[in-house]
Amino acid sequence: MRMKKIINWRTLTMFLLVAVTGLIAMYFVNHNQAFYREPIGQVVAVKNGKPQKQKDTFDNVDHTTSQVVTVRVVNGKYKEQHIKVTNEFTDSHAMDQRYRVGDQVFLSIQRGGHGALSATIQGYKRDRVLVFLVWLVVCLLLLIMKFKGALAFLSVLLNAVIFFISIQLDLNFQGNHVMWIFGSLAFVFAVVTLLIVQGPTKQMMATLGATTIGTVLSMVISLLVFSWTHERGMYYESMQYVTQVARPLFLAETLLGSLGAVMDESTDIVSTLFELKTLNPDISAKSLFLSGRRVGQSIMGPLINVLFMIFMADTFTSSLLYIKNGNSWGYTFAMNMGLGTVQSLISGIGIVLAIPVASAFAGLLLGKRRA
Amino acid sequence: MSTITGLGLVLLVLMVLVGGKQGWKSFLSIILNFGFLFFAVILIAFHLPPLAVTIFTGVVILAITIFMGEDDLLTTQTAFYASLIVLAVLILLIIPVEHWAMVQGFGEEDTEDLEGMSILIGINFLKVTVTTTVLSTLGAIAEAAMAISAGLAEVLQNHPQSTGKQLFHSGLSIGENIIGTTFNTLFFGFFGGFLALFIWFVGLGYSFSSIINNKIFVSELIMVLVSFVGVIITVPITSLVMARRKDKVVVDSSSKND
Repeated sequence: MRMKKIINWRTLTMFLLVAVTGLIAMYFVNHNQAFYREPIGQVVAVKNGKPQKQKDTFDNVDHTTSQVVTVRVVNGKYKEQHIKVTNEFTDSHAMDQRYRVGDQVFLSIQRGGHGALSATIQGYKRDRVLVFLVWLVVCLLLLIMKFKGALAFLSVLLNAVIFFISIQLDLNFQGNHVMWIFGSLAFVFAVVTLLIVQGPTKQMMATLGATTIGTVLSMVISLLVFSWTHERGMYYESMQYVTQVARPLFLAETLLGSLGAVMDESTDIVSTLFELKTLNPDISAKSLFLSGRRVGQSIMGPLINVLFMIFMADTFTSSLLYIKNGNSWGYTFAMNMGLGTVQSLISGIGIVLAIPVASAFAGLLLGKRRA
Repeated sequence: MSTITGLGLVLLVLMVLVGGKQGWKSFLSIILNFGFLFFAVILIAFHLPPLAVTIFTGVVILAITIFMGEDDLLTTQTAFYASLIVLAVLILLIIPVEHWAMVQGFGEEDTEDLEGMSILIGINFLKVTVTTTVLSTLGAIAEAAMAISAGLAEVLQNHPQSTGKQLFHSGLSIGENIIGTTFNTLFFGFFGGFLALFIWFVGLGYSFSSIINNKIFVSELIMVLVSFVGVIITVPITSLVMARRKDKVVVDSSSKND
């Protein structure tokens, strides 16, 4: 009873500490302009003009409104100066922003002929939102998950660091050997994550083995299907933000995208089987394998859906734009959702294959073999 | 045969081989989810209010994922109720966050892809962003809710006398065990798909400050962080729902035994 009280007290202190840190961090990002080299302005007054009706060739009706925004420069050599900036926004806001009093924006300031300052708005300052959300996640984690939650977050942070190192590496090779770089890095990711989540145990080795084999098998099978179907219906030119050869980049994206889910599932299966072994040390390899399959059956559907929703949600906005630009449903699907669908399917194959592999691994490792 | 059909057939065969009837149902749930997602695009294109479309599609996709993923009624009903509560909380979080972040529509990096397109389509992309963010978290919520409620259903089966408080704590400890791998599923799912964009950022020498204020990057990171929030709050909410439903269930099963 006493013990429990102390733990709760400690959690509470910890939580308060994080909450206060968060408030300080929020104050900091609201006042961190001095750390930016770009001039930043705070909107102090806004005057909107009359909306002008616009109609495009597809009969989409929209309105354009111009606004005069008065900003107070908050950093750099023009600090405390007030500048009037004109801005335009539309009802749809696809590429424009509507500014309101209190917004912080990046400026580019020019000095005119008579010493008068003029400026254009370069972008909206968004770091505040990120700091708020990170703080919210950390608070909730500590409040609900305590130590394990902190570990989970740590593993994600570590993976983010490795992720950026690998991109640096890829650029150093000028985009050659993309598959080798990200393939071996996927392995490093798996090792680091599983070490943090499970520690250096036999269980971790089994999970790692299942993850690796499941992923490699799914890539091999997919490449076979690619060559049988001559990659018909794969429009690599519809891939976004491509600065290197598109095909290997797409495969690397797919590999990394599915990695987390395959690890997730292998972990579930292997840890369940290890627990069954401790409950019943005489359990046979075959019945372990069958139990593993049963665990896998119920999680594979939801897990594939997790990735599917992530991949597809990203294509939602551009699909909408395609449809409103008079394209057919089929063309809209092919140009926006086609590659996402292929990614989901390959990941799905990896997730399903990991079930027998993980079950077999754990079964062979733990099960009693018949004499 | 197109590649999508080929891969789809391979996946179907594998799912039926490994999962039997359950595999077939899971495959069907993916197809149905795709159908409703595409339907949502069409509905918004017909100028239906995006928030209403979001709520409708969200509830339907949660129902499909959960009820077609499991047979056990106690597990699925608990998971479904819990995920509806989580969905409501997340929508209340996402709307102000997206209006604050203003990451709607397209970024400068999309300019090339948008060439020759009319972007003045008269639909507020800020509202569409709320839709996409909600949709991207649905799978994760459903999965977490099912993992917790399946675990708790098993606890109840082995220890029918557990009190609500004990169940709640068991739920939290199941949650602690799944949170690490779930976070990584989400991290890789989101960031793996954006490898090309990150290569763009690093290759073109974006500064740290321009990355953390970049429209597309911030929009993506908001999705990841909101999904994290969704998964974290799913754990206690599912445990609570199970603890409240327990009495009813225990009475049901004991009357069956009599």
